[in-house]
Amino acid sequence: MKIENEDALDHLIICHQCHTLHEEIPIEDGTKACCVECRSVLYRYDSRLIDHGFALSLTTLIFFAVANFFPLVQIEMLGNEQFITIPMTFFSLFENGFYVVGMLCAVVLFLFPLAIFVLYVMLFLMLKLKKGEDLSRRLLVWLSYMKPWSMNDIFLISILVALVKLIGYAQIHMGVAFWALAVFVLLDIYMTKHIHLKEIWMLRKQIFAEKQ
Amino acid sequence: MIEVDEKNLIRCPVCEAVNIDKDKENRCRRCGSPIYKYRRFKTEKSWAYLITAIIAYIPANLYPMLVSTQFGKTEESTIVGGIILMWESGSYPIAAVIFFASILVPIMKFLVLVYLLISVKYPLGKDKKVNKHKLYYMTETIGPWSMIDVFVVAILAALIHMHNVQIIAGTAATAFALSVFFTLLAAQVFDESLIKENR
Repeated sequence: MKIENEDALDHLIICHQCHTLHEEIPIEDGTKACCVECRSVLYRYDSRLIDHGFALSLTTLIFFAVANFFPLVQIEMLGNEQFITIPMTFFSLFENGFYVVGMLCAVVLFLFPLAIFVLYVMLFLMLKLKKGEDLSRRLLVWLSYMKPWSMNDIFLISILVALVKLIGYAQIHMGVAFWALAVFVLLDIYMTKHIHLKEIWMLRKQIFAEKQ
Repeated sequence: MIEVDEKNLIRCPVCEAVNIDKDKENRCRRCGSPIYKYRRFKTEKSWAYLITAIIAYIPANLYPMLVSTQFGKTEESTIVGGIILMWESGSYPIAAVIFFASILVPIMKFLVLVYLLISVKYPLGKDKKVNKHKLYYMTETIGPWSMIDVFVVAILAALIHMHNVQIIAGTAATAFALSVFFTLLAAQVFDESLIKENR
């Protein structure tokens, strides 16, 4: 295979699941290209990726704030009332001396999800304003390191499991934050499915190449 | 014009850009992260994390995960004990979820990683039709789900600390969380391109 220079390698894609080599072809707006071997999505084309991405990440960030400030669930048990928020789950671990688990929970449930969406907002803003070529590269690298360590979807299922355990012992009321967390998780899944970091890399290259 | 062999194309593990394999001193041309960081110690780092995780998994099963105090009476339950208790009391779906998340997923992950680490070094299962890339991808996706039990304990401990009834986390929670953390690390530092080289 002969190529012009190293930059031409950007037209090639190695499938992230099965490592098959593909050549990138232009596709229609709003469609996706799939791997011939394993059918996983290789890339999508969205002509308004910056606007969509910015709107989505900002919305997700708002829902994240709501999910963390308001009560998650409230229970009534033996005449006592008790409620929790997401930060309270790891603070109570700290209080009981479980520093390792507490730290881990704080990182995967709070710090990284927050950082990921703040970085997304910054990134799309930078691309929109066509500024910060070097910083945007660093942000993208950080994002790809942090992405596997955000576990809010698992936490959502854990809440359900914990509550089912309590059925029969206590009366359970779902709080605002629970629904906000559910929406946050859905948006998070939608974003990981529809906006790959790869597409942002391509967009970044295109934007800063145009500028020069 | 550069002549490239398709076999020498590798993917940057961080930004997924396609790069030409230059053996030593590989840096991704797009994001600058080193590829083949562990060229000299191909699998050792992954082994180290994996063994740590397996060691941490032993106390995770021996010590209590949940300590509940009801009117002065203290009860401790381990992971397996908790599952049996829930199965007997009729909450089959919950018992199944916890069994899947804290027993099946970690053990499967240990086995798959051990298999992958051995198979990239020794000619094992070379002509079998096992897609190792897919196997690796699957373990990476379902891996974090073993955190369910830790989160459940955290939620219960935060929610139930009343005058007469209290739940606190047990020693196993720390061990289990560490075990999951190290398996995730072991999977992440595993050099996927080794699979390709040994195919």
